[in-house]
Amino acid sequence: MKDLYSGIAEILEVPEDSVDASFDLANGEQEWDSMAVVSTIALVDNLYDVALDGVKLAECETVADIEKLIKENS
Amino acid sequence: MNRVAKIEKIASYFPQTVLTNEHLSEVFSDWTADKIYSKTGIENRYIADENETALDLACHAAERLFSEHQVSHESIDYVIFCTQAPDYFLPTSACIIQDRLNINRSAGAVDINLGCSGFVYGLSLAKGLIESGQVNNVLLLTADTYTKFIHPMDKSVRTLFGDGAAATLISACNSDCPRISNFVFGTDGSGAKDLIVPVGGMRQPIRTEKDYEEVTDSSGNIRTQCNLFMNGANVLNFTLREVPKALDQILKKSGRDKEDYKFFVLHQANKFMLEALSKKLKVPKEKVPILMEDGGNTVSSTIPMALERMFDGKMLEPGDEVVFLGFGVGLSWAGCTVTI
Repeated sequence: MKDLYSGIAEILEVPEDSVDASFDLANGEQEWDSMAVVSTIALVDNLYDVALDGVKLAECETVADIEKLIKENS
Repeated sequence: MNRVAKIEKIASYFPQTVLTNEHLSEVFSDWTADKIYSKTGIENRYIADENETALDLACHAAERLFSEHQVSHESIDYVIFCTQAPDYFLPTSACIIQDRLNINRSAGAVDINLGCSGFVYGLSLAKGLIESGQVNNVLLLTADTYTKFIHPMDKSVRTLFGDGAAATLISACNSDCPRISNFVFGTDGSGAKDLIVPVGGMRQPIRTEKDYEEVTDSSGNIRTQCNLFMNGANVLNFTLREVPKALDQILKKSGRDKEDYKFFVLHQANKFMLEALSKKLKVPKEKVPILMEDGGNTVSSTIPMALERMFDGKMLEPGDEVVFLGFGVGLSWAGCTVTI
């Protein structure tokens, strides 16, 4: 999940080491908005070849929620 | 030797008004000009004036084609005009273009309503017309003015789309092998709602003030039912799902490998999507040109505009083989191979 964490850190414009499963997506410099959601869809597709639903992804509150969504769609 | 269709000349046209990232950063204060550039890969978009339509832009592009490439308007025997912003419900815009450009009355003229896949569809129609012996010179015009549909406070689309037109001359020539071939098409109308102007056509005509009611979405973007709406997540998922399959089909049809093609000229949606696609397609990013910094996403004109820039930049030589892939509103996609 290291690549996922560093990718999300880049998208939300926060230090790489600040992101782990418990990271609150609302705490990024970049808002958890449609642009961040679309960027995360591309990241997850590239890392895991998994397509995530935009609405469900937008509802995620923490990185752990995203990890759960990835597992459900794998 | 066989009679085959070939892309002969391309000329594009942008309207005069420029929308810069600096201006957008004043409107959308949470995004700096640098951030808009890094996310989209776009520096400028061009905006048609209030009284300037896609038809006007297309005619300017055609006039450039005629004057700069020594193409005679009398040589054109078929006009295909691809737009989603026609001047009227009726008559057909291509008929008005025939008169405006002083093209012979013996010419055929037809509109096609497609967006980002439209150029490839236009090429396939032109190839059919030429290789079946019906005509010799097809003027394929692509033009759109999406900015007229966009709410000024909708960052999700205002940062991406610009207005513009391209004129492409496709002519008959004698050749041992096809110059435009290996077409693949795809359509998924279940995604119509993902890129749409909901109100204003016959299904939902503008009837009440409610149609102009502004609604703010969860990302702070404002739009009415008369404005362009794009579900970016669904469009990205569709693209990442269908474009790789379309490329596989093209390679299978052509019996060639990715390495045999010099460039993969994809619809210039935005830098972010093109980078995601080049990873997904497993094609080196050097082979996926991103040539939309000046002009942005001009819908059906992005592929011919990129091609014109590649010619100008001496990136292409006669005999080079390239792949075109257009994808977007519809949802619709199409691809083909072209020998320069």
